[in-house]
Amino acid sequence: MSDTVLEIDDLHKIYAGGVHAVRGISFEVNQGESVAIIGSSGSGKSTVLRCINRLIEPTDGAIYLKGDQINTPQTDINQVRSRIGMVFQSFELFAHLRVIDNITLGLIHVREMSRKDAEAEALEVLERVDMLDRKDAFPGNLSGGQKQRVAIARALAMKPEVMLFDEPTSALDPELIGSVLKTIRSLADEGMTMVVVTHEISFARDVADRVVYMDEGKIAEQGFSSIIEDPKTERLKRFLSSIHEEDVSEHINEQLVEGDTGFGYVPDGTGARPRGGP
Amino acid sequence: MPYRVNRVVAVASLLVLLALISPVQAVGYRSSWNVVESGTEADLLTAEAYGEHGIWAFGKDGVMVKSSDNGSTWELTDSPTSSDLLYSDSAHGALVVAAADGLVLIKQEIGVEWLDISLQAGSQVNGIALTSNRSVVAVGTGGSIWKYDNGIWEGISSGVDSDLMSVSFLDNTLGVAVGASGTILFSDDEGTTWDYRDSPSEASASVISSVVFFSDVRIYATTNDGQVLISSRDGAIDVGFLWTSVTFERHYPPGGTEYVGWPPSLGVELASLEVTQTTRLHLTGPDGYLAMSVNGGSIVSQQINPLGNNSSFNDIAMITNFVGVAVGEGGAILWTDNAGADEQVGFEVMNFNDFGEFVDYAKETLFGGFLATIKIVMFGIILGFLLGVTLAMGKTSPVSLRNTVERFDYKKVRYLGAPLSAIGLYMFYLAIPEIEAIGLDGIEHIFVPVGAPWAFAKILLGIGLTFVGAMFLGHNGTFAKLEIGSVKLDPWRVRPLNNIATVYTDFFRNTPLIVQFMFIHFGLQIGMHLQDAGTGLFSDIYILLGGVEGVGGKLAIWELRSGDYATDAPDSLVSIHRFMFSDRAYLSAICALGLNSAAYQCETIRGAIQAIPSAQMEAGRSIGLTYLQTMRRVILPQAIRICIPPMGNEMVNLVLNSSLAMVIGYAELTRQGKLITALTFQMAYTWGMVLISYFVITWTLALLLRRLEEKTRIPGLGMTGGE
Repeated sequence: MSDTVLEIDDLHKIYAGGVHAVRGISFEVNQGESVAIIGSSGSGKSTVLRCINRLIEPTDGAIYLKGDQINTPQTDINQVRSRIGMVFQSFELFAHLRVIDNITLGLIHVREMSRKDAEAEALEVLERVDMLDRKDAFPGNLSGGQKQRVAIARALAMKPEVMLFDEPTSALDPELIGSVLKTIRSLADEGMTMVVVTHEISFARDVADRVVYMDEGKIAEQGFSSIIEDPKTERLKRFLSSIHEEDVSEHINEQLVEGDTGFGYVPDGTGARPRGGP
Repeated sequence: MPYRVNRVVAVASLLVLLALISPVQAVGYRSSWNVVESGTEADLLTAEAYGEHGIWAFGKDGVMVKSSDNGSTWELTDSPTSSDLLYSDSAHGALVVAAADGLVLIKQEIGVEWLDISLQAGSQVNGIALTSNRSVVAVGTGGSIWKYDNGIWEGISSGVDSDLMSVSFLDNTLGVAVGASGTILFSDDEGTTWDYRDSPSEASASVISSVVFFSDVRIYATTNDGQVLISSRDGAIDVGFLWTSVTFERHYPPGGTEYVGWPPSLGVELASLEVTQTTRLHLTGPDGYLAMSVNGGSIVSQQINPLGNNSSFNDIAMITNFVGVAVGEGGAILWTDNAGADEQVGFEVMNFNDFGEFVDYAKETLFGGFLATIKIVMFGIILGFLLGVTLAMGKTSPVSLRNTVERFDYKKVRYLGAPLSAIGLYMFYLAIPEIEAIGLDGIEHIFVPVGAPWAFAKILLGIGLTFVGAMFLGHNGTFAKLEIGSVKLDPWRVRPLNNIATVYTDFFRNTPLIVQFMFIHFGLQIGMHLQDAGTGLFSDIYILLGGVEGVGGKLAIWELRSGDYATDAPDSLVSIHRFMFSDRAYLSAICALGLNSAAYQCETIRGAIQAIPSAQMEAGRSIGLTYLQTMRRVILPQAIRICIPPMGNEMVNLVLNSSLAMVIGYAELTRQGKLITALTFQMAYTWGMVLISYFVITWTLALLLRRLEEKTRIPGLGMTGGE
């Protein structure tokens, strides 16, 4: 396709200790598409993601962003990274900076915007992730879900061409996941190109256009998100059945997404009542 | 709350200490001139020592008073005249006194009556001198000179028509007369003939009003515009030929320590001059001016006038070097037995066993040391911190040979390898003869860095360049590891910045600070070099601001060793310069403390940097910040907060280590303590006070850091557990 944003071609990564974590991965991400990478722990999902913006240097293979190879030594890596938004599993907000300063940091020092413009921009993205009211809070005083939404806003503010999510909900309690997933879903609906490494199978099924299932550093199966309902390979079947119990039920998930008050709900088994309620 | 109690105790003890060691008031002075009763109200105009323990004073309306006990008691005596007696002289057992209208009275021997030997009426006399007990020389207006001998006055040709103001004879042959327009006349034949002598150009238009022919090596004269002239014997040239005007270095006000430097003149119409030793002068003038100089006039100190500045004195007559009188308006007579020099008040034998007295004595010295210690500590901390952060960044820097080279085509890198190794080998080629030249054997070679520092630097550079060059030459694009037997080495992982920082910290942490102090101050003389650089810098600023280069400018003025500054240099510039560059030991001490502390602070900061999760760096990089930007904006701000408590330790250590600055002669607390013990022998008191002073510094520092820690605490981080 002509509007391919990200193309990964035969990616290999051998860590210094000799672990061959990624063994020849190739896939493409098209404009406005969201791709979910799923797989068991140690299957190389995060490594692939980190290779894309070269937080990990790939051992071999090529990565193209909008047609330009970005893993050559001559690439201006800082410029490339500013075009790729990254959201981490453990948020990695800058603890010493207020929420709004977390977002303006890149705008001021990478995009070289004036503080005034940067703040206007920051307020806009905070509005999008519904964190406008906490703009002067310090990250330490936010809940996990709020932190992750600020982290998304931080990446979003740079107006990236593609967003990478590295298990964005793994560090969150189930009751905090909803708001983050809602935010990511709305981004996908707005047409943001994104690659999401996730354990949320239901999320992958509902939000992702395509799903890549990785196992032992290779792509074991990929295709439209319908493959989750109807896995072709035995390995994916096994994987899906093994994590089925951890999956948040559709019913609760819906309620979380709709009913987020910022304080969080705890599932009580029936999903009927908020914690501490009457 | 224990914390608040702490603060109260800290502030209170600081106040107590400040009260204890606040600087004392300026040292007081008291005049050694004592007011004595003269027995007359008439203005006294001239005085003369005459006979054993005797002094005579003469005044308005022919008043004569005399003292027979060195001037402490006076009695009025009968006077044969009612003219104002203005001029007097005593020598050869005779005393002569004259009035302006030509009246001259002489006592040819002690005890005999006054003999009237007046000049003819209408003569205008300005000065008189004895050449023997029966002969007199008088000078007057219009260049008149008269000589009295054998009962008759004879007019002498002076060859000048300026008014002559004063005459003085050394003995019966050598005499000098001075007057208006800088006139100086000299006689070597009892005043029979007079030769003209050149006065110094500064005085050529001045009225020379007094002259004293003190000895065969020195004549002094004063002018009515405040100059002092000197004639000295210079080798074979006799006294009286060469005259110079004294260059005043300092002119002190009465009882003061803040002098006027390099005044062109004393600015006083000097009334009289008395000389008691070759270089000791007494001067009087209007407005109560009483001054003396003990070094021939270059430093003139005004003395306290016990009658206040409204009472002026017309003459000083000294019987001995220390005993004499000053006579003046309204019959005032001052008597001194200490040369009229001001005496320090409060200088007395102190009892240092009395703690109060001891503190009074020691506090100023100690306070000086207290401030000196704070000064080096403050700048040491700043230098140490900046250098420490830099080193810590060097140590944690990921810059390796590999990622430096990686972005270039390996063939190009290979081309670069050849010249690099060639230069490296050339460095060895240069260095080895230099090292051989210093003649060391075997193990002695560990001292090469001292004996041939440049050769050693070349060797280091040679090793580095040859290694890098060899690596480049062997580069084939794969960054292969080196395998020697079972040992795997990865030379491409060499991190040059890390290595440099490691060498630095290892060196400073593995050598004693006291030796570092001595090496830096005495060996490298860093203080001296910094002082020179600073002096040059400030001279340039001074010139940029419009100051004049040359004498009175750059050279004379910023020459710190003499401590002088241009009078037109801006005060702010002078004070900053004096604060920063006046003391070499101070500069060296800051360097030694800062460089040493940097090595320790580096490790602390490095620890803090490594305590920041690596993902923070990734997060910064992922939004496109460069490594240095992330370091500055993300990692360091958090790391510095983490390392405030251990940095507090380092800073307290630095304060305590600052006591070693005493070995290079820096006047900090410990050295001042040693000075005090040397003067007072009070070990317990002194060192106790020094200890308290250190405690105040360190504790204040600790409180400040605690406050800083509180201020910079990141909300939501760190330990909380409620009150």
